[in-house]
Amino acid sequence: MSTRTTTVTITHCTTVGPADPLAALQLAHACGAPIEWVAELAEAGILQPQALRLEDWRFDGSDLRRALNARRLQRDFDVGLDAAALILDLQQEVRRLKALLG
Amino acid sequence: MDFKDYYSALGVERTASEDEIRKAYRKLARKYHPDVSKEPDAETRMRDVNEAWDVLGSKEKRAAYDALAERVRSGRSAGPDFGGSGAGGGFQPPPGWDEGFEFHRGAGHAGPADHADFSDFFSSVFGAAERRNAARQKYRAKGDDHHAAIEVPLEFALQGGEREITLRAMELNDQGEPEFVTRTLRVNIPRAVRPGQYIRIAGQGLPGHGGEPAGDLYLEVRIAPHPLYRVEGQDLSMDLPVTPSEAALGAEVEVPLPGGGTGAVRVPPNARAGLKLRLKGRGLGGDLYLVLAIALPPADSDAARSAYEQLAKATAGFDPRRQLAAAGAFA
Repeated sequence: MSTRTTTVTITHCTTVGPADPLAALQLAHACGAPIEWVAELAEAGILQPQALRLEDWRFDGSDLRRALNARRLQRDFDVGLDAAALILDLQQEVRRLKALLG
Repeated sequence: MDFKDYYSALGVERTASEDEIRKAYRKLARKYHPDVSKEPDAETRMRDVNEAWDVLGSKEKRAAYDALAERVRSGRSAGPDFGGSGAGGGFQPPPGWDEGFEFHRGAGHAGPADHADFSDFFSSVFGAAERRNAARQKYRAKGDDHHAAIEVPLEFALQGGEREITLRAMELNDQGEPEFVTRTLRVNIPRAVRPGQYIRIAGQGLPGHGGEPAGDLYLEVRIAPHPLYRVEGQDLSMDLPVTPSEAALGAEVEVPLPGGGTGAVRVPPNARAGLKLRLKGRGLGGDLYLVLAIALPPADSDAARSAYEQLAKATAGFDPRRQLAAAGAFA
């Protein structure tokens, strides 16, 4: 199989965060999931959007991390979202404690 | 490119049932989970396991894979050397091998975006087949977003700047033939990026289908471990060793600063080990904390020994184990 090589200079990129948050549809797309799944994550408390309407929801980098981890837990172990929420909280706590250990 | 033995990647027999394959996968997914795994190559192993599961966990892909393995086996006198590096290093899927098999997007268990991280073997066998199927069905959709990690030294993260990242993907060329495309992206990383942040680059994900735009690329920032500084969110911290006299009497000491250069820090009198001194604005967007550690000068000369003896006499009322006695340890 042949190989082609290209070089692209990226002139614009953003850091996912309060200044450049992700909308619900973008978060869903980043996780390879439908938008309804984002609503399910919010219902399970994995995501805590501040706005009422789904189209006004905005997410930062830590939301993206939680969503990606939740998707992975679903894929790997078929866990329900409530169990995933607990696992994610424990995971976050383990990482925090590990960081304190240096 | 070697022929990949997905059965041995999951540690199952070729005759394993769907249930046995699922169980083997879950066991390995736990073993190589990044939060619990003690294996140094957990990430690579997990990718192999995911790839094997993507194929063997899907009926249609497993059937196609078995047929391909059979074809390769019967087509060679010695047969393929599954899993070994001795397969001649030149495995190529026979042209048209996948005729009669339909691969649906997302039929596997991993999302299509995960496929981009899979091996060249996977891409050339299943990636090509999937893209051909999508093209045949005139399927239209925006390309999937792709995820990759970028590790930078702390000094780089503080200042930001240009960084190159190389990604490899399987695409169909104008003639509809699969080819590997190696893309080198020159990305301007903003200053003060923190570990765990995501940099989003629009339009640099996987190619779209039926003329739709490509997806986005997300780069997860990682910061290489630094010998001096630890990253804690926006802040940095560093252990600052001081002598007992510096801690007791107070002192001004020089410390290296993360961005280069040094700074003078005032250690207050009667400072304890573990005391945190803050240097404002010297972190990753936050502050730099210096955590005091008391380093004892060795009593390796008469002068040093006599100085320690004098200190002991002068502070005879000081009992460092008072708390132990109060807690009843010596009762």
